[in-house]
Amino acid sequence: MVGLPYDFLANPLGVVRSTFEKAVASGSDPASFDGKDWGIIDLFNDFLSHQPTLSRVHSATLRLVQPNTLVRFRGMIQDMFGNELYVGAYKVFLLLSDGSVWRTNKFMDVAQFPIDSSADKRMWERRLLYCVPVPGQNAWTETSSEAFMNHYMDWTSQQREKRRRADEESNDCEVSGDEVQCSPDTKKMREDEHPSLPSLSHGAMAESSSSGMSIVPGLDGSFLVKIYDSLESDLKLNDVFEFVGVLASDPVPQVDNEDCEFFEDPLHHLPPNKVPRLHCFIHRKLAVQDFLQNNPIIEPKPHLVKEIRDALLRHLTTVLGNDNVAAHFMLLHLLSRVHARVDALAVGKLSLNLTCFSKENVSVFGNLLSLTVKNLLPFTHCIPLTVEYLNTTPLAPRKDYDTNRLVTGVLQLAEGSHIIVDETKLEAGTLNSMGVENARLLKNLMELQKLEYDFKYYKMEMATDIQLLVLSEGKSNILPADVVVPFRPSVVSSIDAVVEESLQAWRWYLATVRLLPHSIESEMQKVVENDLVAARQADRSLNPQDFSRWLTMGRLMSLSFGETSLSLEHWQMVKELEKLRSERL
Amino acid sequence: MASDSSPTNFNNGPSSPEDSFSSPIGNTLSSPGDGTRRRRRGRSSTPSAFATPPSNRSRFASSDGTPTPTRSRQRGGGGGGRRASVSSTPVAATPTSTDDAPMSSEGGEGYNGDDVRPTFVWGTNISVEDVNEAIQRFLKHFREQSSQSDGLHVEGKYERAIKQVIEIEGDSLDVDAHDVFDYDPDLYTKMVRFPLEVLAIFDLVLMNMVSRINPLFEKHIQTRIFNLKTSTSMRNLNPSDIERIVSMKGMIIRCSAIIPEIREAIFRCLVCGYCSDPVAVERGRITEPTVCLREECQAKNSMTLVHNRCRFADKQIVRLQETPDEIPEGGTPHTVSLLMHDKLVDAGKPGDRVEVTGIYRAMSVRVGPTQRTVKSLFKTYVDCLHIKKTDKSRMLAEDAMDVDNSQGRIAEEIHFDEEKVAQLKELSKKPDIYERLTKSLAPNIWELDDVKKGLLCQLFGGNALQMASGASFRGDINILLVGDPGTSKSQLLQYIHKLSPRGIYTSGRGSSAVGLTAYVTKDPETGETVLESGALVLSDRGICCIDEFDKMSDNARSMLHEVMEQQTVSIAKAGIIASLNARTSVLACANPSGSRYNPRLSVIDNIHLPPTLLSRFDLIYLILDKADEQTDRRLAKHIVSLHFENPESMEQDALDLSTLTAYVSYARKNIHPQLSDEAAEELTRGYVEMRRRGNFPGSSKKVITATPRQIESLIRLSEALARIRFSELVEKRDVMEAFRLLEVAMQQSATDHSTGTIDMDLITTGVSASERMRRESLLQATRNIIMEKLQIGGPSMRLLELLEELKKQNTGEIHLPDLRNAVASLASEGFVTMHGDNVKRS
Repeated sequence: MVGLPYDFLANPLGVVRSTFEKAVASGSDPASFDGKDWGIIDLFNDFLSHQPTLSRVHSATLRLVQPNTLVRFRGMIQDMFGNELYVGAYKVFLLLSDGSVWRTNKFMDVAQFPIDSSADKRMWERRLLYCVPVPGQNAWTETSSEAFMNHYMDWTSQQREKRRRADEESNDCEVSGDEVQCSPDTKKMREDEHPSLPSLSHGAMAESSSSGMSIVPGLDGSFLVKIYDSLESDLKLNDVFEFVGVLASDPVPQVDNEDCEFFEDPLHHLPPNKVPRLHCFIHRKLAVQDFLQNNPIIEPKPHLVKEIRDALLRHLTTVLGNDNVAAHFMLLHLLSRVHARVDALAVGKLSLNLTCFSKENVSVFGNLLSLTVKNLLPFTHCIPLTVEYLNTTPLAPRKDYDTNRLVTGVLQLAEGSHIIVDETKLEAGTLNSMGVENARLLKNLMELQKLEYDFKYYKMEMATDIQLLVLSEGKSNILPADVVVPFRPSVVSSIDAVVEESLQAWRWYLATVRLLPHSIESEMQKVVENDLVAARQADRSLNPQDFSRWLTMGRLMSLSFGETSLSLEHWQMVKELEKLRSERL
Repeated sequence: MASDSSPTNFNNGPSSPEDSFSSPIGNTLSSPGDGTRRRRRGRSSTPSAFATPPSNRSRFASSDGTPTPTRSRQRGGGGGGRRASVSSTPVAATPTSTDDAPMSSEGGEGYNGDDVRPTFVWGTNISVEDVNEAIQRFLKHFREQSSQSDGLHVEGKYERAIKQVIEIEGDSLDVDAHDVFDYDPDLYTKMVRFPLEVLAIFDLVLMNMVSRINPLFEKHIQTRIFNLKTSTSMRNLNPSDIERIVSMKGMIIRCSAIIPEIREAIFRCLVCGYCSDPVAVERGRITEPTVCLREECQAKNSMTLVHNRCRFADKQIVRLQETPDEIPEGGTPHTVSLLMHDKLVDAGKPGDRVEVTGIYRAMSVRVGPTQRTVKSLFKTYVDCLHIKKTDKSRMLAEDAMDVDNSQGRIAEEIHFDEEKVAQLKELSKKPDIYERLTKSLAPNIWELDDVKKGLLCQLFGGNALQMASGASFRGDINILLVGDPGTSKSQLLQYIHKLSPRGIYTSGRGSSAVGLTAYVTKDPETGETVLESGALVLSDRGICCIDEFDKMSDNARSMLHEVMEQQTVSIAKAGIIASLNARTSVLACANPSGSRYNPRLSVIDNIHLPPTLLSRFDLIYLILDKADEQTDRRLAKHIVSLHFENPESMEQDALDLSTLTAYVSYARKNIHPQLSDEAAEELTRGYVEMRRRGNFPGSSKKVITATPRQIESLIRLSEALARIRFSELVEKRDVMEAFRLLEVAMQQSATDHSTGTIDMDLITTGVSASERMRRESLLQATRNIIMEKLQIGGPSMRLLELLEELKKQNTGEIHLPDLRNAVASLASEGFVTMHGDNVKRS
């Protein structure tokens, strides 16, 4: 606590307490704090804006992080446990000054002072969220300390950068803003001792926790996050959030069994030593961009975008054995997202079905493809579709009323996840009831971008936004994709190792470009309409789905060039692409 | 029922009952003199009086002069009137004084009149005496509004109920919170805010009354409050609700085993055998005596619990979960624990939808069973007072299409609040409501207006009818959509499925007969045979949507015959013979057999469906993809706008889904249109004309254009159309529209393509009249040839030779199968015999 009034990092609870006492002392009624805070969030916001380096907690590092310190955690909301009532403020009788003082329990599990049952107290509530690491999160999104460093280098001066490089091996701390960088020696020392000692300076604190950033929390990286004073609509199931809060330390005393039997507390199955508790000060919803380590370009400039696009397309073409058409579709597919829902329709999705895979080439191209996608998108998943898999693996989440928890399924994914379904392994066989159900779920997911959660007494549909890529021998009937492209590889070209920089550029490109707004000029609209009418006059078998696909492709095509409105050129490209595709069918 | 009329009285004074007393002047003005007269009229007006303008006007006309809020007068008047009927002397002075007495106590804080210093409940402004009196008054004097009309000496609702409870030796009295509010809003407020205290007094008063009526009655009678004015959603429960009465709806997901909870314990000394007096539970625990109480013994730590002499009460913990409709997007359902005691134990089973009234309570979590320190956490639960099953929560599950409208209708739990009803009624008055509803139905599917109108009729449904003879006529309308692929049939189905009160969506391809109807299975654990309902049974009183109807196996389809006309499913299997209700409308869609509709073939040939089944569909729509540039352009526009425009901007003045659902539900529940004479006449006329259309003058050819099934359909359709307008009377225009709808559907499906006329035989037998004529002539020709060529007992002739002969004579084209058919029918006449391909004259 040098100079600064509060030690946000090492002793956030101290901040809570002292500000509370100050607020009460200045005459505020503690009862009025229900649902609000006494300026604490602002303090922390302020602190974080100056100190962007606060480390994230990861499972591996969790053990290194001291309890009761400020940490940052990223995760997906997997389940919600409802609200919890706690004694928010209570009066404590002080022995010395024979008066009573208000104390708060906010952001804490266990009261600092024993609460007399007859004491004056205020009940507040907080929300409990069960968060897990984002399913299918790829390794590159994890801020390795190196990546972190790189990030910093961009910020700091060239000189520092050089010094950093030297330090890199010693795996250390970064500096925030104007803080002085700590020397490698001290760093090492610190690491040996304990990551975060209160006596360390802020910079060091941030750093040490940062190096401990990737957690494999408890057993599986899950966290129990306690949210205060938030709107219910802010946090939704399957959203990816970043939480900044206090890591609760004291093992919550075991509740006696009697009560548990009665109330089937989900927490009962999540002992604090396995699932750490995080009392959250600030939460922020994350988009895909937040998982990029360093943004090479801040603004999507047309020529830059085009350059990246070409490079990426080249790469995809190579990956796909010089199949240029498939690569184009692949690119559009990777850019797709559900941007609107009209009734049951999810507008903007573009699921892709690459057909003509054989058992032999799927091992080559399939693996290559999934590796590529893994490298490009933050959350990816691979489903080997076999009869056995369908029959045995629960795909949809289901509520387990014994533990009162939502048991996750393979398809409970964050928004923007990518799934490769490998159908080539599917052989003839009998589906049991689960298999039928799973096949139906997959079909619904593909057609409507909706997933049914099984609540036993009823099903609840959740809207999803998941990109689906199907690899199959023939056109997949189980998974009716929007686009079916027969895959025609010509050569199996060895892939050159991709430079990290270009990978980063591609990631940035995919994450940014797909979010661009998009519109259509009225003139262009006329052209498109005429084209559609003419096409339908020529071919009666064209149905609204085909038109929808074209328009989606048109949109994605112009987005892929970083443009926000459909141009004739891009529309022509789409038509050309469709022509090439239909020739293959 | 009181609940019917009371909301009307108070709809403008919702939560703060104090408001209604803000102007005492209004009360005094209304009470004396003519007040009595007015009250009398009020009394005589049953709930329906609100709908009849005369009495209404007179009540309100007098209020014009006084600027007081109407509700206060209504309340005062109503209350006073009830009391006046007790005093039985309708002298002006008497009601005035009775009127004033409750007023002073109801005035909230002002208890000045009391000489005795009131005992207040600690920490509140509740005076025990006042509450006590208020409850007594309520129990003694409360009268239901509907009962006020008959005589002056009507027994109070709760006096009667108490007597009933005594008679059946019950242990609880259900008290409708709406009644409490109607009678004494202040008491209601106090009760909701401080239920523990007020309910204790309530029980006390109740016991006093009981012992006065029957001093020998010893059982404790509990008060069970239900039907609160406001219902809380589970996720809105917050700390401020603690220790208050709350009411919430939800679904039971789990019930614990019944826990015997000790109430009184009896201990026995192991040394001397002395039994202690019953020890009552104090603060959840029982203190075991450490010393034998018998003076001679006084043995230490010798007391042991005598289990079978203790008194236990049942306790159960039940978890209630939010129903899906209350869960916001992206949320998971919340759950609440309920504590059930005594009679409430096992009142609900998992899966039941219930409405629960109880006290929301919090319980501190102790650190350990032995430690006294409490954690900062609290567990919350609802101490249940009353539980009501609302199994019909899916709207309009019980509705007008129900034939047996005896008990079920009254028990219905669907309540539309007045505001909503008024809004719906307003909507129904719009002249273009029919068009608007049509437009709101699946707005993203363009065109197909007539199909949508048909579907709309299906949603609203006709009236079911049960004849005295036992015959019943279904009210459900069945629709079949046949069409080219990609004409959004499935989307329509999905949409209707979403909209319909209770619906099952199934695909013909994946359904088996038993999956649709019901099947008998052995329970793996108990070995008992169990009946499992299939889709049709599950969608009883709903709409069963069957996609890919044509892909369904014949076996499954044949099961539908019974369902679609008799509306039951009969099962006779392994020890179970049952007939299950399946009063469901069927909405099916099918693809033409050759993937594309062949206009040269009949419907029957296009969809390979047995005519027996087809005739059970009221409307059969052909959704054909016509090469029309206009349509294409609209389609293109639609899709472009779908992708590039704000979806909201496209569908103005269409009703949103929830309004539409409410509209349909309300109509199905409350509107039961009857045929007017005019409409009946029109029906007859139209039907006769339709049948006549088949008879071409001077032609012996008989084409049936309508069958009795059609007239039933027409009645159903016109009833549905009247219902759409919220009209209790089927008018001529409804019938005409029904005819139009039927014709549109028929024209598409029952047109005989060789003649261009409507031919119902196409549907009913699959063979058109012209086809039948052709067959007839072929038969005749064959007969002639055989007569010519073959002698009885002579050599046989091959079919192919016969064909050759026929071709020589006949100019028309004849195919072998046709000939075979003809010969077969000749054989059945006994004219010829057939051995393989050889025909022999017999």
